[in-house]
Amino acid sequence: MAKQYDVLFRLLLLGDSGVGKTCLLCRFTDNEFHPSHISTIGVDFKMKTLVIDGIKVRIQIWDTAGQERYQTITKQYYRRAQGIFLVYDITSERSFQHIMKWASDVDEYAPEKVRKILVGNKSDEVDKRQVATEQGIKLAKAYGMDFFETSAFTNHNITETFTRLAEQVLAANKKDLDLLRMSVNDEINLAALEEEEGLCDSAAGDQGKGCWC
Amino acid sequence: METSDDESLVTSPCRHCHLSSTVDVITQGQTCPGGEVTCSGDGEEVASRAQSHCVDHTTCTLCCGSHDGTHGPIRRSDEDQGAELCLRDDVILTDRISPNMDMEGSKVNRCHQQEGGGHCGGRATGGTDLYLDEPFSQVTSDSDTQEGDLTSDPPVFSDDDAFTELLQLGELNHPAPASATTTHHRHSLQEHSRRPGIIEYFSSRKQRSISQSVPGWKLFGKVPPKQSPSKQARIIQQQSAEISQSSLSSPDFQEFEARQVSGRNSPTHHAAGQQSRRKVEFEPLSTTGLILEDRPPNLPAKSAEETQRHRQQYKEMVAGAKRRELKEAQRKQQQLKERVRQEEEIANAMLVWNQNILPQWDTMRSSRRAQDLWWVGLPPSVRGRVWSHAIGNELNITAELYDIFLCRAKEKWGSVGTAQTADGASADGESSLDLITRDVSRTFPSLCVFQKGGPYHDLLKSILGAYTCYRPDVGYVQGMSSMAAMLILNMDEVEAFVTFSNLMNRPCQLAFCRGDHQLMFRYFRAFQVFFEETLPRLFAHFQSSGLTPDLYLMDWILSLYTKPLPLDVACRVWDVFFRDGEEFLFRTALGILRLHQDVLLHMDLISIAQFLSRLPDEELLSDRLFSCISASVMLSGNRKWSQVLLEQTGC
Repeated sequence: MAKQYDVLFRLLLLGDSGVGKTCLLCRFTDNEFHPSHISTIGVDFKMKTLVIDGIKVRIQIWDTAGQERYQTITKQYYRRAQGIFLVYDITSERSFQHIMKWASDVDEYAPEKVRKILVGNKSDEVDKRQVATEQGIKLAKAYGMDFFETSAFTNHNITETFTRLAEQVLAANKKDLDLLRMSVNDEINLAALEEEEGLCDSAAGDQGKGCWC
Repeated sequence: METSDDESLVTSPCRHCHLSSTVDVITQGQTCPGGEVTCSGDGEEVASRAQSHCVDHTTCTLCCGSHDGTHGPIRRSDEDQGAELCLRDDVILTDRISPNMDMEGSKVNRCHQQEGGGHCGGRATGGTDLYLDEPFSQVTSDSDTQEGDLTSDPPVFSDDDAFTELLQLGELNHPAPASATTTHHRHSLQEHSRRPGIIEYFSSRKQRSISQSVPGWKLFGKVPPKQSPSKQARIIQQQSAEISQSSLSSPDFQEFEARQVSGRNSPTHHAAGQQSRRKVEFEPLSTTGLILEDRPPNLPAKSAEETQRHRQQYKEMVAGAKRRELKEAQRKQQQLKERVRQEEEIANAMLVWNQNILPQWDTMRSSRRAQDLWWVGLPPSVRGRVWSHAIGNELNITAELYDIFLCRAKEKWGSVGTAQTADGASADGESSLDLITRDVSRTFPSLCVFQKGGPYHDLLKSILGAYTCYRPDVGYVQGMSSMAAMLILNMDEVEAFVTFSNLMNRPCQLAFCRGDHQLMFRYFRAFQVFFEETLPRLFAHFQSSGLTPDLYLMDWILSLYTKPLPLDVACRVWDVFFRDGEEFLFRTALGILRLHQDVLLHMDLISIAQFLSRLPDEELLSDRLFSCISASVMLSGNRKWSQVLLEQTGC
């Protein structure tokens, strides 16, 4: 079980039920779009490895159930996250209004250092739009977040959004990362001698995990 | 493989009676390698045969001569075949023992060929002609090639049957059909992939040989009785029968048949056909045939060792392919049998449920028979009734009650359309109805019956809507749609509503649907106790990865396993859940973890979580899972599930 990554992030998808969190995720990880996903119960998981600035970043994405009923459960996962997507549906005013509630929950339960990004999904459904792009931009500014309008259906801005958040998390953890890099190098040098025992990967991987989880 | 080959060949008595050419050959070859070869090769029987070849050469020719006198060309051609077969056998043996045989081999073959030509013009010597360079290897490679070729076509049986038929035909009409027979046999030799087929052929010839050429048979038949080989042969025959049954329709088979037909026909039409024609006829059909072909004459020949090694490797490959194919065929056969058996079982079970158990539900439900039948899964036709009987109706819900709540739900839906946007952050109940509309369409999407326009779309929506009006304190929870859908698939509307309401009223379901944190974690903790007890290694791994049961159990319990498991397996879990209650849900969880333990032990947190949220659908999953479930006994020390659960209250 060699771990082929340098660092490990945990990102969380939050937002009302039906805004398209699972669709965003499937588009990002598998480049697939299914209009009818089974509603998420509790939390679902996906992962993908990105290379950012030459660093192999493995991101775990926790896709939470949007229904309020599940929030007592999902809130306990916030503290494990380094980055959070706040997703609303541009065709649903209500899902946009709920962003404030989601954001305040995040403030309450997530670690201070957590990075957030605002996502207005279903940008392809222009006819049904209820939330103007400007509203999204304004809200994002108020929270000091970046903002993207995406469409899982047309694959618009998906990779950009995920990469942006990953970059931000990476930057926020720069100090740890530098430390990590040094230790990784140490490990690699060390491992070069003991390569036959296959210590390299697992040691580096553990290091990555140890730093951030 | 080698052994069985040899054994199967040993069982072929025909070689004993028509060895004229082989014997000739051996003498012409100036040596007597046959004795050597066979001695080390196959033990007593073959050895004695080989010796008799060498020693009794004249007798042999005499014997063959008598054949000729009696039966004419047909017999001869048959003999040629016999000879050819023998040659081939000898080649195999030679291969293994002395590479020097190659030299002799070519001589042998040339002479054999001459003889073949002499015996009957129509004889299919093409194969040998083509490969004059080194006919020996060709004989082997030819058939071996075919073996490789045909590793997936099984129909030796039919081949042999057809052959026998032809053989008989050939006896009636002289020269031309005889050659057809030969050719045909050549084919069957080519189709040698089926050793059993050849055996069959041989055994069919055995009687003929005995009856028609008694002297020859006796002469060469003074060998110890071969019992074990024939036994072996019988087994192989059975296997081959299975194979031919299981894949008669494969394209390979069709191809093979086509070839066979051409092999049958053309030589008949051109009985005394020219060599060139025959050459075309027997061109190797597979490129793999080239593997063993010798280098062109203008290049230095392979060393004997190399040749031998290549042959050996090739044979191993072919043998491997055959083994795989046989295994596959057996597996398929097994599957088919299993399916038939299951269907019968289901039909029988249905009878018992309908006639014995359901009419006297209260007395019969806890009977041993019912409990056992229940465990293996309910027949789909009685499933709904058994479920609804089992869950009962302690809430006393009636059809009228359902209608009332349904009307209320419909009213609300009517108003939601207008009120929704105006009053955004409205009460939870309203958004529940909203969610239902959305979720109904994404319930079991692969079944395409709950989607908008599908037959059960409105039905599912009605039941969920009525339920949220009936129990506003619970409301709609994502996950309910698949549970209600499961019921709809097995019972009618009112029954489904009654069962659903009662199901949701079970303590475990109520705890999870209400999102009762404390209660849920009590269940998780109780589960952990049994988890640690039954699967300590995996438990430790989960602990160290930080994988808490809520990450997978919530999904499993709230969807009642409709999400992680394929529908049919989920149905069976439901069956026993209705028999055993909530305890079984956690037992199923243990079963799943046990089933996949080996894989899970090598995964990290996220991979495990991902894996567990959608389990792989594999063959026989249901049976394998249930044997894992039955291996997971819900006992911690002497405490049962309910006790352990109660104990968790204190924590």
